[in-house]
Amino acid sequence: MTQQKLHTIGNGAWRKDGIAKVTGTQVYAPDVAVPHQWFGRVLRSPFAHAEIVSVDTSAAEAMGAVCLTFDDVPKVRYNERIVSTPPHLYRDRYVLADKARHVGEPIAAVAAPTEALAEQALRAIDVQYKPLKASLSAEAAMSPEADALYEKVILGTGEVAIENNVAVRRHVEVGDVDQGFAESDLILERSYTTVPQYHAQMEPKSVLCEPARDGSITVWASAQSIHNVRILLGEIYGIPLNKINVRRTLVGGTFGSSIQVNSVVPVCVGLALKSGHPVKIASTREEDMHSHLRYPSQLTLKMGVKRDGTVVAGEMDATIEIGAHNIQAFPFLGVLAGFFASLYKMPHMRYNGKAVYTNRTPSCAMQGFGAPQVHFAVESLMDELAVELGIDPLEMKLKNYVGLGGTFWGHGPTVKSIILSDGVPELLERGAEHIGWADRPRPEEQTGRHRRGIGLARGFHTSGVGQPKAQGAEMIDYSGAIVKINEDGSVDLAQSLMDHGGGTLEAIAKIVAEELGVPLDKVGISPVDTKTTVYDVTTHATRGVYAGGAAAHKAAKTAKAKLLALAGRMLEVMPDALVIEPDEELGQGVIFCPGMPDHKVTVGEVARHSHVNSWGTIAAVESVRQVTAPPAYVTQFIEVEVDTYTGAVRTLRAALGADCGTVVNPILAAGQMEGGLSKGAGYALIEDIGWDPETGQLDSKGFWIDGKTPSVSEAPLLGDVTIDFADTYEPTGPFGAKGIGEASMNPVAAAYTNALYGALGVRFYDLPVTPEKILAALRENEATTGAPVEARRETTMVTS
Amino acid sequence: MNKHLIKFVLNGEPREILVEPNELLMNVVRERESLTGTKYGCGIGECGACAVHVDGQPLLSCIVLAADVDGREVVTVEGIGSYGQLDPVQEAFLDEGGVQCGYCTPGMVVMSRALLNENPNPTELEVRHYMRGSLCRCTGYSGIVRAVLSAAEKESSGKAVPVAS
Repeated sequence: MTQQKLHTIGNGAWRKDGIAKVTGTQVYAPDVAVPHQWFGRVLRSPFAHAEIVSVDTSAAEAMGAVCLTFDDVPKVRYNERIVSTPPHLYRDRYVLADKARHVGEPIAAVAAPTEALAEQALRAIDVQYKPLKASLSAEAAMSPEADALYEKVILGTGEVAIENNVAVRRHVEVGDVDQGFAESDLILERSYTTVPQYHAQMEPKSVLCEPARDGSITVWASAQSIHNVRILLGEIYGIPLNKINVRRTLVGGTFGSSIQVNSVVPVCVGLALKSGHPVKIASTREEDMHSHLRYPSQLTLKMGVKRDGTVVAGEMDATIEIGAHNIQAFPFLGVLAGFFASLYKMPHMRYNGKAVYTNRTPSCAMQGFGAPQVHFAVESLMDELAVELGIDPLEMKLKNYVGLGGTFWGHGPTVKSIILSDGVPELLERGAEHIGWADRPRPEEQTGRHRRGIGLARGFHTSGVGQPKAQGAEMIDYSGAIVKINEDGSVDLAQSLMDHGGGTLEAIAKIVAEELGVPLDKVGISPVDTKTTVYDVTTHATRGVYAGGAAAHKAAKTAKAKLLALAGRMLEVMPDALVIEPDEELGQGVIFCPGMPDHKVTVGEVARHSHVNSWGTIAAVESVRQVTAPPAYVTQFIEVEVDTYTGAVRTLRAALGADCGTVVNPILAAGQMEGGLSKGAGYALIEDIGWDPETGQLDSKGFWIDGKTPSVSEAPLLGDVTIDFADTYEPTGPFGAKGIGEASMNPVAAAYTNALYGALGVRFYDLPVTPEKILAALRENEATTGAPVEARRETTMVTS
Repeated sequence: MNKHLIKFVLNGEPREILVEPNELLMNVVRERESLTGTKYGCGIGECGACAVHVDGQPLLSCIVLAADVDGREVVTVEGIGSYGQLDPVQEAFLDEGGVQCGYCTPGMVVMSRALLNENPNPTELEVRHYMRGSLCRCTGYSGIVRAVLSAAEKESSGKAVPVAS
């Protein structure tokens, strides 16, 4: 449904950073090196909860190392993630810990001229701890016997007391829930649990800080916003922002793991300032696992429906574990409510959320934020309700979903938008056709060792956190861009926005090329830093193309107006009469007046003319905040085969659908859906970063494979996955585009558990659904219903 | 500890350097030769981001001692193709959406090249089996598998030629 002829948007061009990436010349934070750099290492707590009695660094210093302890760091309590506005920002940490609150918490740090010496010096530091009682679950943390992680934390300009280790609570209510349940014909209530998931981004969090004699510093860091790194370092160390320069390096994946300024960044700066040397800290994989994980959740969900499948009322109670620090518990509890309220029309809704401190790795955003948790619960329960009512789950979803004209709570109760584009009906129809939904296998028809099931789940993610209120928003949400038409007609796009690999900057370069009417290869993405760009909040909330792209689009429009004004002066034509189109043969944008063929000039000619006549540089800087946050919808049909001997689940087929508005690059957009399926499958079936319940040590001990990241062997075969894009146009997005990234994984887990129900007739409420859980459920099913599990009989025969 | 003098060939160039007995090939490549295409992902042979060819065989440079490549030939991702001359495998990664963040890509390119050198016409299952030790968190692997199959098809039909041949 594109509304104009597009020349660049919609094609599958090679990504501009592609050749550097395939030839190994792309530089990431761990690859940065400067002359005479020292190496930093971080001493981490072996205890989940302990007082730090003393730290003796004398032996390490005698070896020639520079050491940093709690005594050395500014006594500034901060929140690593400065995306929430100050009144909503909870601050509970220092650069180095005043007390150990999780295994792996940074206690002290060293810098030395060689990595080997740094490691030896680290081991020479003597820390005396006094262990405290560790709370390794929300339940334990809230019990009266638990030791408090914090007495007080800072909120806004004041302090708040923390009671029972509960960091934050939120309550949202719409309509009259009790009346709604009274009017319902069927009410189901279920509890769902999800575990922490490790981001497993390929690049371990790294940082290099180079100090200069005038007190300024240059920083390279794994980050999702270079400006937030700069602002936070300025706050902690009291350095004016014009003396801090954070340079962008591409990032080797994040999935949310660097929305906050990573804990190694201020530590590294402290070491550099104290030693006077450039210092680099490259986290090990084990350290990276101790850094952040996805929020684990316990959701109790109750929904009431009419006999015809109309949803009447819903109630959700959420308990989430935030680990040892409150990074974004307040917005997290908000999005649980918002995503719950936005999946299905619910006249009566009640939500209670609480976020609990525990002595575990801090929780932070990971792809989907709170959406995968909510989608798992709601999409599972909607399936169960439909089956109970004897209604096709697809029909029930279509009947109740929040679509065109509805209100979408894009990021919690304070971010509301009217939905202007909606491809859900089209995507459900096409997906159902691909997968053969009408003829899906039913649990009662299944016998034998291998059983198949098809599951459906749908949902969305927000596109950004934009909203119309001029003051008082919970979150900061704006982006800036500089578009400059060079003296030869080529274009520089200088934007501090981070591209995590999904191709956000590629998409934005296309938006700029499209607006300026120049071929895509004429637009270059500038290497940038904080000194020469304007602010971008962070690449999160699936906002990159929709919100970051909008800023570049506006800058391109402003630059284009200046370009046409100058072209008009050259051609003696009114600028409003001129248009630009790319000419592939010339490799240039051509400016002309339709109907006046001799009034024609290339963008390059205008730029040169403007340059030699000293008319000035054709450039624009804009800073934009979107005032809506539209839903990027997805639909996912997944077919599984379960081996009832082993409990192993194989993904046979998937039919994925995405409504991202205008598709800017179909290859990269498909890549988002393929990646979301993989991470979602991991979340559904295998991934679990567990802790020893006694010590709080990671079960995986820092081994990646033990954390169970999906490999190439588990993914479905190429011909067995279809991806559809809805034919929609988002009127508020650049050229009709909205988001896609996080949406791609949000409903995946529920699609799997619904498919497992289709195969086995068993509902699973706890992620991940491991083979052990499947075998246990089959045994229980047999014991309680007397229904023989064919598989076990066959097993007996085979083994006897 | 006594240092070892090792002689080896790195991306076609002879090298003669002194290494510590516990020095890893990955450190030599990344830090001493500044070839940072070879990535640290885990340091213990779990993720495949540091793969290089040693005498044509793919090895994980984070668990190979530098002293072990004495007298051998090492090829890193930088030696497989370059800006002006991309290997068909590298082109295919760009054509087929095999690259997102790019951090696993060098290891994936190294493994893909090794696979096609050994087996010019792999099936999809053979590709998945060969590449199973290389982790990617972005792509879900589809683009990577498509890329290897596409490069194989082009090379075996004569439409493309590996750079090193």
